[in-house]
Amino acid sequence: MIEFRNVFKTYSNGTHALNGINLTVEKGEFVFIVGASGAGKSTFLKLIMHEETPTKGSIIVNGVHLEKLKRRKVPYLRRTMGIVFQDFRLIGKMSVYNNVAFAMRCVGKKGKTIKKRVPYILDLVGLKGKAKNKPSELSGGEQQRVSLARALVNNPQMIIADEPTGNIDPELSYEIIELLSEINKRGTTVLVVTHEHELVESFNKRVVRIEGGKVVSDTKEDDTMVAI
Amino acid sequence: MNFSSIGYLIREGFKNIWSNRMMSLASIGVLISCLVLTGSAIMLSINVSEIVEDVGESNVTTVYLEDDLSELEAVYVGKSLTKIDNVTEASFYPKDEAIEAYRDVLGEEVFQNMTGDDNPLPHAYHIVMADLALYDQTVQEINKVDGVSTVSSRSDVAEKLTSLNTLITTMSFWIILALAIISLFIISNTIRMTMFSHRFEISIMKSVGATNSFVRLPFIVEGVIIGLASAGISIGLIMLLYDAVKQAVKGIVSPLGEKFVPFSEFAWFIIVAFIGAGVVVGALGSYLSIRKYLKKEGNEILGW
Repeated sequence: MIEFRNVFKTYSNGTHALNGINLTVEKGEFVFIVGASGAGKSTFLKLIMHEETPTKGSIIVNGVHLEKLKRRKVPYLRRTMGIVFQDFRLIGKMSVYNNVAFAMRCVGKKGKTIKKRVPYILDLVGLKGKAKNKPSELSGGEQQRVSLARALVNNPQMIIADEPTGNIDPELSYEIIELLSEINKRGTTVLVVTHEHELVESFNKRVVRIEGGKVVSDTKEDDTMVAI
Repeated sequence: MNFSSIGYLIREGFKNIWSNRMMSLASIGVLISCLVLTGSAIMLSINVSEIVEDVGESNVTTVYLEDDLSELEAVYVGKSLTKIDNVTEASFYPKDEAIEAYRDVLGEEVFQNMTGDDNPLPHAYHIVMADLALYDQTVQEINKVDGVSTVSSRSDVAEKLTSLNTLITTMSFWIILALAIISLFIISNTIRMTMFSHRFEISIMKSVGATNSFVRLPFIVEGVIIGLASAGISIGLIMLLYDAVKQAVKGIVSPLGEKFVPFSEFAWFIIVAFIGAGVVVGALGSYLSIRKYLKKEGNEILGW
């Protein structure tokens, strides 16, 4: 599903963000990517989404060799993934329903399909009764659920969540990860970038730690530390 | 992209105009000014060309033949004259007819002594040129014809009108070009403002996998609507303006007012040209401003 082969990334200002990352995430896995800020987590996600290209090495996402991917094909790669942002990134003037429907309109889905699919997804994330509300009328946790609903609505193969609990209360954070875990059980690969150790420890999931642009540890679900 | 997407994106284009209405109105205002100035330049050029053509038609150049040429030889010279590209008409003006014109001035006795073989005037041709701008070149060609003695100089009015026409045509071209660039810049700036206010939506669109053409279309629609609205209003204004100028000129110099080309004769040209210019400038202005934006990714779009 995701494969990083000896990936290096150096920005034009000379910052070495990634220094030879080797990592494989299989289909249907749930992986926490942890590390301090500046460790290279965001660059790692940007490379998966093809917002940045590696300086060296190769990346394969959903069977696509990203170094060979043409610019006009990038949108189709992104349709295979749903992104959840730390700051939710909801459109303030749109209702909850329209925020989710917007993601479907962007990929050319028909009105009939949208009308059927959006209520189903809102129900899945527990926001059935909030469809007409504006994001500003919701709590942080609810806003993140809308963001998750938007990421899920186009039925992606994987969910990439960048610090999804960074802007919400700890008890709600737990709920969000639970929800992601539920989605993962339905077959969607989930990648969660976070720096909240307690949260990570309360779930028995694979944890990849990045430090100084390198993978320094990779702990599988059964708590076996894999030597790097 | 399916039809429901296109419908949705066109609606978004209209919404963009409304949400950015002050800037849209300002652009429409500037574009109208540009189009009205362009239209005025076109109409001035059309009318001056018409007047020059009129003067050209009434302006007959006389080609004098050599003194000893017989009428038969003169006919051959005439054939050579009509073969010259810019000469549309060459009518023979025999010397007997020419002296006849002086009969009253000379008096009967002198006139009688100047007829037949004693006629001192040469045979001549009255010729009409298609393009007076090529006068000098054509005279050179005429002078090369065997049997031609001299060519009368053209009228000053025709010469001045021709140079005025050339000047107006050249100036119109540069004015239209400059205004087109200004219009492009204005539309491009307006769209850039709309895009800036929609940068958040654009970043989400790109993250969920919207294609560049999907992101681009509402802005192109916005530019085209601004262009079309400006074209429509400008066409109306130009019609009113043309009529008002015509009436004003008629009041001052009546014959010149009569010479105005009726608006209906070039109405279609103005309508098609303005609508075409509105659509092209609108679409191109939008395309150019969004092109840069579409190359940005993620937080770059938001300026973070």
